[in-house]
Amino acid sequence: MTNLTIDNFKAMLNLALKNITERADEFSKLDAITGDGDHGTAIVTALTAVVEGSKNGSEFKQMLNDMGFNVMLQTSGSTSTLLGGFFLGMSDGVDAGLATLDASQVKAMFKSGMEGVKKNTKAMPGDKTMMDALVPAIEAIVSCDSEDVKEVLMAGAKAALEGAKATVNMKANFGRARNYGEKSIGYADSGATSWACMFESFANAL
Amino acid sequence: MNKFINAPEDITKELLEGYTLAYKDIVKLGAENIVVRTNPKPLDKVAVITLGGSGHEPALSGFVGEGMLDCSVVGDIFAAPGAQRLFQALQMFKRDAGILLIVLNHSGDVMSANMACQLAERAGIKVKQVLTHDDISAGLDAPDEDRRGLAGCIPLAKIVGAAAEQGKSLDELVEIAERFNKQIATLAVAMRSCTHPQNNAVIASLPDGIMEIGMGQHGEGGSGGRTELVSADNTAEIMINQLMKKLNPAAGDNVLLYINGVGATTHMELNIIFRKAYQVLTAAGINVVDARIDEILTVQEQAGFQMILGKLDADHQDYLKNGRSNAPYWVNIGK
Repeated sequence: MTNLTIDNFKAMLNLALKNITERADEFSKLDAITGDGDHGTAIVTALTAVVEGSKNGSEFKQMLNDMGFNVMLQTSGSTSTLLGGFFLGMSDGVDAGLATLDASQVKAMFKSGMEGVKKNTKAMPGDKTMMDALVPAIEAIVSCDSEDVKEVLMAGAKAALEGAKATVNMKANFGRARNYGEKSIGYADSGATSWACMFESFANAL
Repeated sequence: MNKFINAPEDITKELLEGYTLAYKDIVKLGAENIVVRTNPKPLDKVAVITLGGSGHEPALSGFVGEGMLDCSVVGDIFAAPGAQRLFQALQMFKRDAGILLIVLNHSGDVMSANMACQLAERAGIKVKQVLTHDDISAGLDAPDEDRRGLAGCIPLAKIVGAAAEQGKSLDELVEIAERFNKQIATLAVAMRSCTHPQNNAVIASLPDGIMEIGMGQHGEGGSGGRTELVSADNTAEIMINQLMKKLNPAAGDNVLLYINGVGATTHMELNIIFRKAYQVLTAAGINVVDARIDEILTVQEQAGFQMILGKLDADHQDYLKNGRSNAPYWVNIGK
């Protein structure tokens, strides 16, 4: 597919919400190893607010902005901050008035989304956080040669899943989980896993 | 710990009601958990706003008033207010002159402030943040991001509040505040910790006869470590020497010296502590031109105090000493 429409994008969001909701318990159990065990609930709540914010959207820039606003105002905590930053950042990466995006515009949008996340966390790849899924996903999206939007997002999904898997052998180095040190090794990070699920859903929805 | 409270979940709401009823000529509730001036500042001047959890009274809402803060956005006990509440306050104070947001460096406050400012920017609200990080317990060379915001935010609020009242622009206020930020240092000591008023949990218990230098305002440990309790003079000397090492004041410099009691330490003790710190400064030829012995930011029934030392430029000194404020807890004889 050469163009991504608003309806395509809404389908991506809806599939992500569906898949993440189905796997919420798994994310919470991973989070309970080094945290308070609420990540499944938190990401479902946050993504629900994101999807709500997209309901009336008819062009990308405003819709992405509304989605980010909605999640940041309706919910609180780090999961919603990061997700809100992602969509606000994506809004910054597209020109106003566009209802379809070609592959290069999709790449720019996702790259800007990562910049939006970086405004809200100092975590770096290797710290065993969602950044370990997000950063490789965006790098793969940006560097993908294809002009086909689905192929671009497939590349992102593959990199996100690999990135999340790689967190199994990492030691938590950020936030409260850092206090668990060696105990955090052997399990994937909950945030990296849920974000990888989101990227996988984005690609599969097309 | 027994406390005079009603339902634990109503503490914040009820304390703000009591406060705004007592000082209703000066402060009122602008919305739920948002304390504002009764007599608002003209729209052509920059509004000064801060945010933070309750449980630290009189901070921060006690310093809302003419010549200080225009608004404080209050979270629950020891908890940052959400971005939604803060964004609501930013919308209330939207103006061409802009808003200066004072943020104490604690992760929840920083996160809410960043989020609310990102939204504000998109909503056409002009706002700039100043992050306070006066604590030196993370080490003298610690990066600013690892230094917590302690009671040094109160003289900062007085300085920028007075400057804003005189009509300084947002950029000028940021410069005044950041210059002060580099010249202020705070060190805390605790000899008995406190309980969380909502669940009675003991926050970092300290054995009898032990003190901890560097303990923060939520009872969290610092890096000064635990030592046996020593005399007031010894404690004051240890602390003022650390603060002087951080700021390197020279003979002839003008400084502020505040002793902030955090709840259960008597003013009797605070006076004795102040005396020694003042003597050490004076012996080094440093002029203490602004002094306070008070409870400005407390931590429930924690026993201990924060010692605040700040080098003052001429304008800082003027804003601090000569600018008038009617904020209920900015105590000034004859104000």
